[in-house]
Amino acid sequence: MDGRALRVKAARRREGMVETRTPLGMLADIIIHAALVVVTLCCVVPVWHVMMASLSDGRRMLEVEGALMLPAGIKPNFAGYRLVFSNMAILKGYANTLLYVAAGPMFGMALNITAGYALSRESRLRVPLTLVTLFTTMFSGGLVPSYMVIHSLGWVGTRWALMIPGCTNAFFILLMMNAFKGVPQSSVEAARIDGAGHARAMLKVMLPQCVNLTTVVILNSVVLQWNSWFPASIYVTSSRDKWPLQLWIRQMVADNETALQMSSPDYNRLLIQYAVIVAATLPILAAFPFFQKRFEKGLLLGGVKE
Amino acid sequence: MYAQRAEPMRSARSPARLPWKKDIKRNGFLYLLYAPTLCYLVIFHYIPMFGVAIAFEDFNIRRGVFGSRWIGFDNFIDLFTGETFGLVMRNTVGMALLNLTIGFIAPILLALVLCEVRNKRFKRITQTITYMPFFVSTMVVCQLARFFLAREGGVTLLLSALGLPKQNWLANPNLPVFWLINCFTDIWQGTGYGSIVYVAAISAVNGDLHEAAAIDGAGRFRRIVSITIPSIKPMIIMMLTLRVGTVFMSGFDKILLLYMPRTYDVADVISTYTYRMAFGSSINYGLSAASGLFQSLVATALLLLSNAMNRRLTAYSLF
Repeated sequence: MDGRALRVKAARRREGMVETRTPLGMLADIIIHAALVVVTLCCVVPVWHVMMASLSDGRRMLEVEGALMLPAGIKPNFAGYRLVFSNMAILKGYANTLLYVAAGPMFGMALNITAGYALSRESRLRVPLTLVTLFTTMFSGGLVPSYMVIHSLGWVGTRWALMIPGCTNAFFILLMMNAFKGVPQSSVEAARIDGAGHARAMLKVMLPQCVNLTTVVILNSVVLQWNSWFPASIYVTSSRDKWPLQLWIRQMVADNETALQMSSPDYNRLLIQYAVIVAATLPILAAFPFFQKRFEKGLLLGGVKE
Repeated sequence: MYAQRAEPMRSARSPARLPWKKDIKRNGFLYLLYAPTLCYLVIFHYIPMFGVAIAFEDFNIRRGVFGSRWIGFDNFIDLFTGETFGLVMRNTVGMALLNLTIGFIAPILLALVLCEVRNKRFKRITQTITYMPFFVSTMVVCQLARFFLAREGGVTLLLSALGLPKQNWLANPNLPVFWLINCFTDIWQGTGYGSIVYVAAISAVNGDLHEAAAIDGAGRFRRIVSITIPSIKPMIIMMLTLRVGTVFMSGFDKILLLYMPRTYDVADVISTYTYRMAFGSSINYGLSAASGLFQSLVATALLLLSNAMNRRLTAYSLF
């Protein structure tokens, strides 16, 4: 009994909480928890609403006010998903997004790792090359000149325009540079003395030691690519077979607005817009718990390294 | 934006200068490793920089950058004297300021409140859920905004309970409405994510300080004001300066998705103006390039300013 009380006291000391509970303190606790519950609900409700709407009766959806807690309609209606997954255009968009999400960050990481490594090692050109990288964060040519470069490469209307130009940026490269710099130099030197070349030292010795920051960079570029729609909207405007999923979301909504103005609309079609949003969001949210720990750790390494 | 901090260049140890020949021999492979990235940066970042020449030309796509007629600063004169420019600047600055104030304070507040929670599990779950929206795409966030701000949407319903008329809020052309929508969608998407670093910083505050203060009779609120906030002040300043530097670049694609002709007057910002001049119905490449260049210069100036501020205030700097 005594031991337990001591442990509890010690734990509370660690937390910096030494005062005894007062009614006012309890009230503050209640307010804090209530506020956090409200904030959490704000984050969950919109996503939940869309998930429930995607399972609703299309006709009833038109009359729904506010946010749904349960699907509107007598029983869950999967017509929206059936329409999404039987729509070849959307499936193609899904496949395109998967391709872009795999290829873009892969090109990007190849550049981030090689350049990050090159900039983390001592050499005469290290500082000038770092500045060359850094300058691109400050000044950009803008929309029209960038479009013209892609145009003169002959990439307008091709998938390259969606995968290569946005595959990396100076922040990612510098983040990888910092990651490599954070690896204890002794282990690198030991490997070099044992006869490992640059390539081996980089991939076999250093990279495994900066998994967390690498996760952050990979994840950021994956999310960037998964969410990207603007380049597609200007570079492959008319070739719909190359559209990523995000662009189809926009299209579905626009289609629905016109469909609603017809005399006898197909109410199930209205559900496509919800179903496609769920299909475009759920995979990344579902995958998240698997890399959450590394991601948070890496984020802190990048952010609060003192 | 993720937090990132490069090591200050100034404190880097100066390299033992090898003669070029030896350096190439020893580090040639490093340069080879950097070469693909150099190609990438040159093609997609440096060559477009020369394209800013379009801003000084009566640009004709068939004649190209080198064939078009040089007209000096005429495009800029058109830009600055155009009737929409005043509105565009007002909107850009207005939304940037909202993002720098409300949008900046929200993650700090969330972190402060989160750290007052003693139940580890509750804290953990709340934190995870609140930063989930970061992974929801801008396109989807805009759709959610459309659903919830429509005439029958959830937010409209809440607001009507407060006595505001039911309406499609996104179509409201009155002044602060669109700005607030832009700000609050940002907050929804980024607050939890932004609070992660603050939570870490607050957790790192020395517990002895809190204990001593508590023994001296300082209440919880008092300790937050007098201990926690001063302890994380360097981090707050660093995040603020990072944000100042990028404030004009953010929000472009969201505004592009959310605005409509009815709300152009309150929603148009420099970047969307640049876009519409290049890809909209009335195309003027020269004007678009001019406003793009203007935006780029302002952003560069802000970045340099914020970096100088950062260097003076916190001894850390991006470059």
